[in-house]
Amino acid sequence: MRPTVRGILIALALPPLLAGCFPASGSDTAAGGPKRLRVALAVPPAQALSPYSNDATVLSKLSVAEGLTALDRHGAVQPALARSWTRTGATTWTFDLRKASFHDGTEVTAEAVVNALGHASAAEPKPRVLSDVTLTAKAEDADTVTITTKNPDPMMPMRLASPALGILSAKAYGQDGTVSPVGTGTGAFEIKKLAGKTTASLDRFDGYWGGRAKAPGIDVSWIPDGVARANALRSGDVDIAEWIPTSQAKLLDEKTRHEVPSVRTDSLILNTGDGIFSDAGLRAAARAAVDGSALVGSVFGGYADAAQGLFGPAVPWAAAHRAAVAGRATAATTGQVQAQTKDKTVRLATYTNRSELPEAATVLQQQLEKAGFKVKQDVREYTQMEADLLAGRYDALVFSRVTLLDTGDAVAYLASDFASGGAYNIARLEDAAVDKAIAAAAEEGDMAKRQQKIMAAEAEILRTDAVVPLVHEKVVQGVADGVEGVLLDPRERSLIGTGTHIG
Amino acid sequence: MGTGPAWRAGAGRLLAGAALLTTVALLPWLSRIDPALTVLRARSGEQDPTPEALAAIRERLGLDDGPLALLGRWLGGLPRGDAGTSWVSGEPVLPQVTAALGVSLTLLTGALAVTLATAAAVCARTVFLGSRRRMRYGRAGGGAALVAALPKFMLASILVTVGGVWLRWFPSGGWEEPASMVLPSLALGLPSGAMIGGLLDQALPAAFHEPWARTWHVVGFPPGHVARHAVRRALPAVLPQLLPTLVGLVGGAVAVEKIFNIPGLGRVVLDAAVAQDLPVLQTGTLVLIMLGTAAGLLLGALRRSLLGPALRDGALPALHRPPLAVKRSLRYAAGFCAVALLLLVAAGLAKDPLHVDTAARLLPPSAEHPLGTDSLGRDLLARLGHGALRTTAVAAVVTVAGVAAGLLLGMLPRVSAGLTDVASTLPAVLAGMLVAGLAGPSVLGAALAVCLVGWTPYAAQVSALLEQERASEHIAASIGLGAGRLHLLRRHLLPALGPALLRNALLRLPTTVLVLASLGFLGLGEQPPTPEWGRLLSENQAYAELAPWTVLGPAAALALLAVLAVTGAALGREVRAGRGERALVRARRISSASAA
Repeated sequence: MRPTVRGILIALALPPLLAGCFPASGSDTAAGGPKRLRVALAVPPAQALSPYSNDATVLSKLSVAEGLTALDRHGAVQPALARSWTRTGATTWTFDLRKASFHDGTEVTAEAVVNALGHASAAEPKPRVLSDVTLTAKAEDADTVTITTKNPDPMMPMRLASPALGILSAKAYGQDGTVSPVGTGTGAFEIKKLAGKTTASLDRFDGYWGGRAKAPGIDVSWIPDGVARANALRSGDVDIAEWIPTSQAKLLDEKTRHEVPSVRTDSLILNTGDGIFSDAGLRAAARAAVDGSALVGSVFGGYADAAQGLFGPAVPWAAAHRAAVAGRATAATTGQVQAQTKDKTVRLATYTNRSELPEAATVLQQQLEKAGFKVKQDVREYTQMEADLLAGRYDALVFSRVTLLDTGDAVAYLASDFASGGAYNIARLEDAAVDKAIAAAAEEGDMAKRQQKIMAAEAEILRTDAVVPLVHEKVVQGVADGVEGVLLDPRERSLIGTGTHIG
Repeated sequence: MGTGPAWRAGAGRLLAGAALLTTVALLPWLSRIDPALTVLRARSGEQDPTPEALAAIRERLGLDDGPLALLGRWLGGLPRGDAGTSWVSGEPVLPQVTAALGVSLTLLTGALAVTLATAAAVCARTVFLGSRRRMRYGRAGGGAALVAALPKFMLASILVTVGGVWLRWFPSGGWEEPASMVLPSLALGLPSGAMIGGLLDQALPAAFHEPWARTWHVVGFPPGHVARHAVRRALPAVLPQLLPTLVGLVGGAVAVEKIFNIPGLGRVVLDAAVAQDLPVLQTGTLVLIMLGTAAGLLLGALRRSLLGPALRDGALPALHRPPLAVKRSLRYAAGFCAVALLLLVAAGLAKDPLHVDTAARLLPPSAEHPLGTDSLGRDLLARLGHGALRTTAVAAVVTVAGVAAGLLLGMLPRVSAGLTDVASTLPAVLAGMLVAGLAGPSVLGAALAVCLVGWTPYAAQVSALLEQERASEHIAASIGLGAGRLHLLRRHLLPALGPALLRNALLRLPTTVLVLASLGFLGLGEQPPTPEWGRLLSENQAYAELAPWTVLGPAAALALLAVLAVTGAALGREVRAGRGERALVRARRISSASAA
């Protein structure tokens, strides 16, 4: 019987031993008081929440850091740390700061703002939002900052709303170029602890200039797998889960799914540089054959809108200014396609990172084959194929792209993706009329006219058939019953604000 | 065992580890994918890959110094406990990797407990009957094969849905409390336990058949006593399988880690490999190498202590399976599996596996679609039928190649002992990246990559069995009678290995199919929409709860294949045994006739 006794003793000793292998659980909630929010986010921190990486959006989603300005739901600029601003010259802007303090107790001064913006411009590589502009910030007095750019920049206030230009206290900036937002932001919540890529714990910041948040704190867990995120919400382990995959949306209770039109557009990019689709007639045939609306009800389970152009319903001004597309090449007939592509196969690429894309590619393959093309798919993880994509080793690519990048301005996207020599010009488009239209939009300072010119550029791009928009994605945010005040933002920059709480 | 071989085995481990680490350090240069681009992408999804941005990263990381200088710098830091800083996050690597290793080892403990319990359950019947000398029929182990064929990620999905979401007995994911361990341990341990149990169960009858067991029974020793010693007798040959089956999961259980959101080492290594974050990848690989070596040494020591001095003295009786009759039901089971699979394939081949019909999406089984449709409205029966031949052929070829390589390396234990331990814990995805980098994405790439790591269970098995076999008395007798090495190999060693090796390979067949499919994201293997069983399972994984038939069909097909394989092998064995017996009878008749 001795072994059994020993076994029981071991069994009794195991649980406390095991408990040592797990992290201590998060801060306890005072009984009866308002509850802390438990949030499941999708993309784990890449650079310990540095604002110069993907992580920047986490800082704005959780109301940790703020810029001088902010964008509202419709994309209009609103005051944030700057109370007001004026354009004092072609290349200078003056910002008037409000009274605010950092989480570490120091005041938000013009010096602090200059320091923060200086670090952002000096970062290597430069944050996306500053890639096409060089700015210098100067403190005029304790609460006035002037920003000067090399070239006139009509978008400056919008630019400053980018999460990458969040203002952190001097303590945040390390000697070796690292930036830590832990305890250095100005927002309604303060990061207390960041545990690797798995969890973070935030407390309410009582000194927030915008008023005390209703929720006492936030417990964040990063769950990269979409099914696991949905499960966490359904099992009651979290209160809010972002980005529920369309395959899981139907499993959620109707009250917990909230759909938001997203600025993400999925499209079929055709390689105009060489290969089959350097021929405009074949491109037109592919455009005519492809029907993105077939994807809406199937692949996207209804969580998408059929494409209207490059910009969808999440870009509120797009529909009003949309210009008709004219001067397209005539589509080759099925017979012509077969004759012209006799022994050539369309290399149709897409990537596995977004689970809908491989499914969409299979639907498109069938549509293209009906029009006479022979198609072969190449599906890999994005980083495994990006170099090949940029080198033009594909004929067609099913691509998902955010159309309003961190500037909130559409020109940056058009210029990098469709202008000659653009860094992300996977279509290898080189079209003088397109370049001209994009340049014209970039120079325009008046917002309404700029939007008009952007839509004119969209029409020019669509005319070339280098890109066939398929769908505008919708994001499904999972919010448990009883949670109030979640910010549903098409730009996915905000999620939790001062008013978010468990009712 | 003198100091010579021990020294040599140590050097072998060191050499294998060093070669592996160097290969990992060269990965970006072999794959010709610019690490600056992958690092940029890991940091920021939407940033433009401008030449300036890439140059800035390259300079910051010192990429232009070349791989060997980088490796030297990383190695130089190790003695100081500095494993460098991650290229992506800029944070020190060591705390990140040790935290992940802690999580993985804790999970491994849980999985080990489940594995042992499952293996015990699988063998319980044989142990019970054998120790009471009431074993009359041989078992094929179809049930064990069925459980071993369960894809771990499917088991994980089912467990999390039932235990986490519906019943809420356990957390649905995360790694916060000991209760978080339960479901993932089950998902990892059940199939592994069935595999180990299936192997042990086949070895046990031989132990019960030995003269001592009969004597003890007659003398009146309690059955428990006999059982304990029989298990002790059969265990040493199976023990080395724990390394590739269970310890290998530390780096290879990415799918389960994802489903349960466990911050384990598998995900760290995979993310680092995809981003080509070399300091993290090298440290992760080093940890896996050390883990494999430590586990290999531990299991080896355990094995030797179980075998005792008999191994050294060459006084180990060989374990030989008694001829046991096969139940008729086994024949029915094998027949059922064969007919079901044939029907499946025949019916599926008549339909179009590629036709997409978005209106007929996720339809439940009906007369028109007997197994239902997938998320694109394709007929699942057609996809299963058309994928059958390709799937089984590739898996069979990979298995045969793995067995052959394992046999070859297992026969040279002095050379391969270190290599086997080191490669056992190597995730297939690393081999996949290497193959994809060197040869580019290709149909054969996946098979090649799996072959690179898939031989380890067989090599471990062969070297363990050979060691025991060589120590047995009949080999000594043969050598005494003047048998040459080749004769020994052909007439004694290989025949003794055959059945155990075959069984191991058959039990691993379904896993091979899944591992092959798991490399698809590297562009290895057949590209979609080609139907292939592993792909069917992985592409429908997200719909497992909404439309269970999308994964049940392929999983059932895989299970049928596994059960058919092991029952078929058991029947084959009986036929062969029967032929042997008949030959024996004939020989006796002839000899008695001639005597007369």
